Amino acid sequence: MTGGRGDPGLLDRMVQRSLGWLEEARPLFRLPSNVTTDADPNLTLKPLGELAELTQLIGVLHPREEIRTAARGLFAFAWNETRDGELFAELIRGEPFATYPVELYGVFTQAGLRHAEVDELVHTTTRLRGWRVAREDHTRTLGVLNAERRIGLRQHADFGAVLALTGLGGLPEPWALDRKSAYGVTHDVFHLTDWGRNRQRLPPELADYLRLWVPSWLENWLEEQLWDLAGELLAVTACLPAAPYDPVAWQRLADAQAADGSVPEMGAAPATGDPAEAFTACYHSTLVTAFAATLARIASDEAEAGPPAGDTASVGGRTPCESETAL
Amino acid sequence: MAEQTQGAVPLSAVIADAATGVALALRGEGDPYALSGILRQSDALTSAAVRVLGADALAPYAVEHRAAPVGADDEAVVRQALAAYPPGADASQVSVWSYRGLIEASHAFLPAGAQPWPAPPEAEAAWVAGDPWPKLSHRVSQVAALALPGLAPGLAEQLAARTDDLARGFVRAVRRRDWLQAAGLGRWLARLPDAPSTLGLDSGLAFIRQMGGADPRVALHVVAAQRFYGRGW
Repeated sequence: MTGGRGDPGLLDRMVQRSLGWLEEARPLFRLPSNVTTDADPNLTLKPLGELAELTQLIGVLHPREEIRTAARGLFAFAWNETRDGELFAELIRGEPFATYPVELYGVFTQAGLRHAEVDELVHTTTRLRGWRVAREDHTRTLGVLNAERRIGLRQHADFGAVLALTGLGGLPEPWALDRKSAYGVTHDVFHLTDWGRNRQRLPPELADYLRLWVPSWLENWLEEQLWDLAGELLAVTACLPAAPYDPVAWQRLADAQAADGSVPEMGAAPATGDPAEAFTACYHSTLVTAFAATLARIASDEAEAGPPAGDTASVGGRTPCESETAL
Repeated sequence: MAEQTQGAVPLSAVIADAATGVALALRGEGDPYALSGILRQSDALTSAAVRVLGADALAPYAVEHRAAPVGADDEAVVRQALAAYPPGADASQVSVWSYRGLIEASHAFLPAGAQPWPAPPEAEAAWVAGDPWPKLSHRVSQVAALALPGLAPGLAEQLAARTDDLARGFVRAVRRRDWLQAAGLGRWLARLPDAPSTLGLDSGLAFIRQMGGADPRVALHVVAAQRFYGRGW
């Protein structure tokens, strides 16, 4: 692993090809009419929420205009699918105590997209004592806290205190990390740094921990060809101060990207003629690849420019909030 | 173990039995250790086993205040192994280092006897600085027997500069359940002065013993880390 400059040509190609596949996959991101009733949210809201979360970031932060434009088109499509936010009012009326509509709504409010009725609803539901009851999954709680910040709601718990309870905050033995906890660690970083927008929020102790151990984890999961987790770990790497760039790892992820731009979640591209099946197997890894390559591109530009003055780790387009979709 | 019919016993079993004997001695259990007691000079596979174990064949003699003096039979066993399996011109670095380790251990832990021990062969070490960490880790685990007090001081110094990389290799090896590699790396990390605190080396060595200690070579590395460097529990 080398410090400093990456390979912008490779990284940008990966983003472009991912966005190309996502663009083609638009029909499969569309929400069905039963989305607020009996549709499986893992096949409807989750993909759309991820699409919104990550294309919003790429649309604001990527240095190349044509990439930003493509990402913004997908983000606008996602907002359109929520019927300009009306969806969230319906979801909250249906499940007033669920966190996921609030987390999803936060993705859009950070971009200034709001819905008046939803704003009123969440101001009521998130002030309940019941909303403050601790959730089982601390990582998810960080996501809820980020959404509250993005929407401008009062934070229901102390972010630092919750972070300390997570799989990252506890600094567990790095060899004891299993797959589930690895996903937890990557998302602890994403919530903490607002998906790489505010990397200076990563305390030095956590940055040192990640700088030491992410290379091991990355090697493990590249070997297992778990491409989405490898992509998330590359994104985490790009969140580190003076982010290292691992050309071999990036090439391996690039090699996993199929000719159509999709990146399978695991192993080789799925051999299926069913577009819906192929979509489910690829959309997450493809989004993660575009996201990670965008963050690495930004880190690469910073390495090229030398240490920036002032706020050393922040990048343009930062928002005051953090988010969670059901990523 | 010495009573087994050598013709029917594979080398791996001979090595495993010998490693068990070494580990037992390092724990201070069993009869006083004698290399020639667990690997008899007359047995066909003794030299090969000594060559594979390398310096570890003599590890119990590195323990201070050992109970029994080293006998001449041990010297004969080692000399026979050194003569039988010198590294060839195309030998791997690991093989050269392992051979060198056995000679260094003989110098350090065995009496000189009538004739002096051969000089340790030159062993190249550019790979220590140049290998990517996964490859480095694999090689270093294969020369874990050199992680003994006073042996290969130059190698130890060079490896200290790659401590973080070896720790990464340890993490990868444990996650892959490659207990032998993990134990060998853990043993080297126990010797090096600055293993990262977040690694959890002590609990890691204990974990490896629990999960992979049925392999005598794994157990030997874990015991050595504890006996010589006080790491693990």
